Amino acid sequence: MVKASEGEMLLSVLRREGIDVPALCDHAAIEPNGSCRLCTVEITKEGWDGWKKYVTSCLYPVEKGLIVSTHTEELTEIRKNILDLYLARCPNSDLIQKTAEEYGVYATSFETIPDGDNCIMCYACTRICDALGKSAIAAVMRGHNKVIAPPFGDEPPDCIGCLSCAQICPTDVIKWNDKGGYRTIWNKRFELITCKNCGKTTITREFADYLIEKRNIPEEYFEICDECKRKDLTKKMGDLVEQAREVTL
Amino acid sequence: MNFRFEVIPSLCIGCRTCELACAFTHTKDRKPGRSRIYPISYAPDRYVPVACLQCDDAACIKSCMFDALKRNEITGSIDLNLERCVKCMACIAACPFGCALLDDTHNEVVKCDLCGGNPACAQFCPTKALVYKRIG
Repeated sequence: MVKASEGEMLLSVLRREGIDVPALCDHAAIEPNGSCRLCTVEITKEGWDGWKKYVTSCLYPVEKGLIVSTHTEELTEIRKNILDLYLARCPNSDLIQKTAEEYGVYATSFETIPDGDNCIMCYACTRICDALGKSAIAAVMRGHNKVIAPPFGDEPPDCIGCLSCAQICPTDVIKWNDKGGYRTIWNKRFELITCKNCGKTTITREFADYLIEKRNIPEEYFEICDECKRKDLTKKMGDLVEQAREVTL
Repeated sequence: MNFRFEVIPSLCIGCRTCELACAFTHTKDRKPGRSRIYPISYAPDRYVPVACLQCDDAACIKSCMFDALKRNEITGSIDLNLERCVKCMACIAACPFGCALLDDTHNEVVKCDLCGGNPACAQFCPTKALVYKRIG
């Protein structure tokens, strides 16, 4: 017996109760879309006369009297099949290999894509970009040729180089680098804000401008790095302490 | 909010016990975390313990596009929900006092959460430069 509030999804309730259900595309910051299929669970109810069905727990809202099984023989078989397919698509991904090993799948029974990327088409990157309010990237093409890409394969005009897509990607497909005060992601080059005092780089200028505009954060907050800000704060507080000391003396 | 975390720099001797207490309190996978509090020297033998000020109009909360940072109404601290955090570093860049930090060991963003209502640094501070007390 587990308590839950209305509108909650099964997976978040299971996670809260400490029940381990595998999931690759799930993240609290984004809307669930049930693309990885690994969180599939078996549900039934008392009045269903033994009937049961399989649902993706990340997308199934909780109901009163629902009986959920998370680890049955059939479910293990379903997850093994899914992982078998993932291994064929992403033979080089550490996360896929690890998850597959947990379910006893050590090699794929399908033909692998030799020079494929590790993308599992979970759309976590596009969903987080939507959550940010930018939608700079999307899935393009169909079927086997489907890839996540910026519009027309060019530099994405809406991208602000915040790195959320690369950070959330479960299989680390999205490549980026910070070099010489510039960040490159999706073939677009961004200027990184350089600390006025020490030269350390923080976030991209575009991302800071977006936060300033959207969330009304004063522009001067972004001028120096966190370490220099702490030193500034120390200096200001130190001056106050010294003033108080003089007064008491 | 009935509690207040007080920092009294004139009492700080820079012993860095708070730093140790914090790092060991936030141990994960048998590795101490990055300390959320630092005594920083501004003159010889003069220190200020710098920790999150839990601002009322907090830039970190405003900067988080994914609502990972929320005010804890009981302790008054701003708590980071790691499940929602995507490490975009917006809060680290936006905090005007530099008190949101990146923990390199565990590769996650950290900030002071007042230990959920009983700060370890205040318990261990030998000179009582850090005090957590009930107000009103």
